[in-house]
Amino acid sequence: MADLKVDFAGVPLQNPVLLASGTCNYGQELLPLTDFSRLGGLVTKTITPEPRGGNPPQRIIETAGGMLNAIGLQNPGLEDFVGEKWAFLAGLQTQVVVNIAGFSVDEFALTAARLEELPGIAALEVNISCPNVEAGGDNFATRPETAAAVIAAVKRNSRRPIIAKLTPNVTDITEIARAVVDAGADAVSLINTLVGMAIDVNSQRPILGNITGGLSGPAVKPVALAMVWKVAQAVSVPIMGIGGIATARDALEFIIAGASAVQVGTANFVNPNAGVEVVDGIQAHCDEHGIDQLASLVGSLQT
Amino acid sequence: MIDEQVEVLANDEVAEEFYMARLQAPYIAARAKPGQFVNIQVSTGGAPLLRIPLSVCAIDLDAGWIEVLYENLGPKSEVLSRIGRGVSMACLGPLGNGFAPPPAGARTCLVGGGIGVPPMLYWGSVLQRQNYPVTLLVGARNKGKHLPDELLAPAASVVRRASDDGSLGQAGLVTDLLQEELAGDAPHAVYCCGPHGMMRAVAALCRESAVPCQVSLEEYMACGIGICVGCAVELQPDEQGAAGSDYTRYGRICVDGPVFDARRVKWED
Repeated sequence: MADLKVDFAGVPLQNPVLLASGTCNYGQELLPLTDFSRLGGLVTKTITPEPRGGNPPQRIIETAGGMLNAIGLQNPGLEDFVGEKWAFLAGLQTQVVVNIAGFSVDEFALTAARLEELPGIAALEVNISCPNVEAGGDNFATRPETAAAVIAAVKRNSRRPIIAKLTPNVTDITEIARAVVDAGADAVSLINTLVGMAIDVNSQRPILGNITGGLSGPAVKPVALAMVWKVAQAVSVPIMGIGGIATARDALEFIIAGASAVQVGTANFVNPNAGVEVVDGIQAHCDEHGIDQLASLVGSLQT
Repeated sequence: MIDEQVEVLANDEVAEEFYMARLQAPYIAARAKPGQFVNIQVSTGGAPLLRIPLSVCAIDLDAGWIEVLYENLGPKSEVLSRIGRGVSMACLGPLGNGFAPPPAGARTCLVGGGIGVPPMLYWGSVLQRQNYPVTLLVGARNKGKHLPDELLAPAASVVRRASDDGSLGQAGLVTDLLQEELAGDAPHAVYCCGPHGMMRAVAALCRESAVPCQVSLEEYMACGIGICVGCAVELQPDEQGAAGSDYTRYGRICVDGPVFDARRVKWED
């Protein structure tokens, strides 16, 4: 049996497959449908300091090969997370990465500081790249200075590994990646969703209540893969590959491109056991191809 | 709730572009309550990508099948309508919360509009078996879009129809029929599923008449199990839970519903 273990920025993962933020909520709903103990981990839906109601409906629509979402970071807020959600997550036999966001540098810092009180958290994923909220979100990750300011503030307030989640909605993602690594990020995850929209031609109105949304699913995989490959050449920290991963083959592409771990996202909406099936498929691939250590595949792309 | 591999036993057109699929689904058949739904993967090839959520329309506990009734009006239903007998599909269910029962002996009125009729058929048949008097009001655009009598008969002792063009039943809206029911020997409980505007009108009529009303809501849905937080419905401020928390402004139709007490829903556009 091939060894799928990964050391991701100091976080020991039994395998490189995590469930992506915003596609597994805070875990409870998937408990009857998947086996968390088989996964490398899960990344919680974004937590902001204050509770958020999110965007008005319609919030999602399928598009060719993917879907648009504009949920708007609906979440119960930091205090509810610490008091309620964490109790369940702490009991899971898998690594839990908590995804955080804020609407100012201080809010990110405050959230990171409060989460220091929960010792079981494996790492923080810092969402500087949500495309669906007016203030904050995307604004931070589209400029190297603001991205760096957020990461530096979080880093000062947390002893945990810090993963900066990057947006693809920029001219040069490697510039942002370098900025967050210089600011202290222990790892980067990419990509968040691509800004997109859909229109009802009869009503001449946008289909989403937020007008625009974030594109995810198989349609974005080639874009994500190219960005992971570029970032892998630009920085030396571990990369979490995200974008349209639904099968083991998808995951392996990201790993070969330079990702040390991957996140399964939209596929969870189609198959709530997708993550475990990706793990099984990676195991089978390695065993069939005589790969003893999955880690040896990371960044093994021959060009 | 499981992701059950189900086999298509039948999939036939029962009205103009309305199809009834019978699925061998023993796990779900043994558990699905009226108002609950399933989320079916009609393609494993990624086109369409997402599943199609459909209300359970009927079950046969002994035979282990469920029936879902759907209108061919989008890419998912179009693919489903072409799936034949013997094909196997992943079917997640039963999902959501069903209808809450009426008080003992209550006269019940079920109101279904267009593709909102299916959950009413399952609920009506259960109410009938429990000896509740059931009146079923059905609205559709025209005669061709109305379901045949034999599908409606098991769900109600009285069936009344309305069509927009008057080609079957009373000309006009199903809410006209409800208004007549409320003006006469009014029902003690109303259950409703249909287009948003229709449900809003039904909720308003019931509020005016002080008759309890439950609605089965629909919204574009991805997962069906509460993880995507996509199928949002805005709730009345005093139904939103913890004071000062914006989090509960929107409910998730898939797990908080799809059935809601109509008074909990914020209907204004």
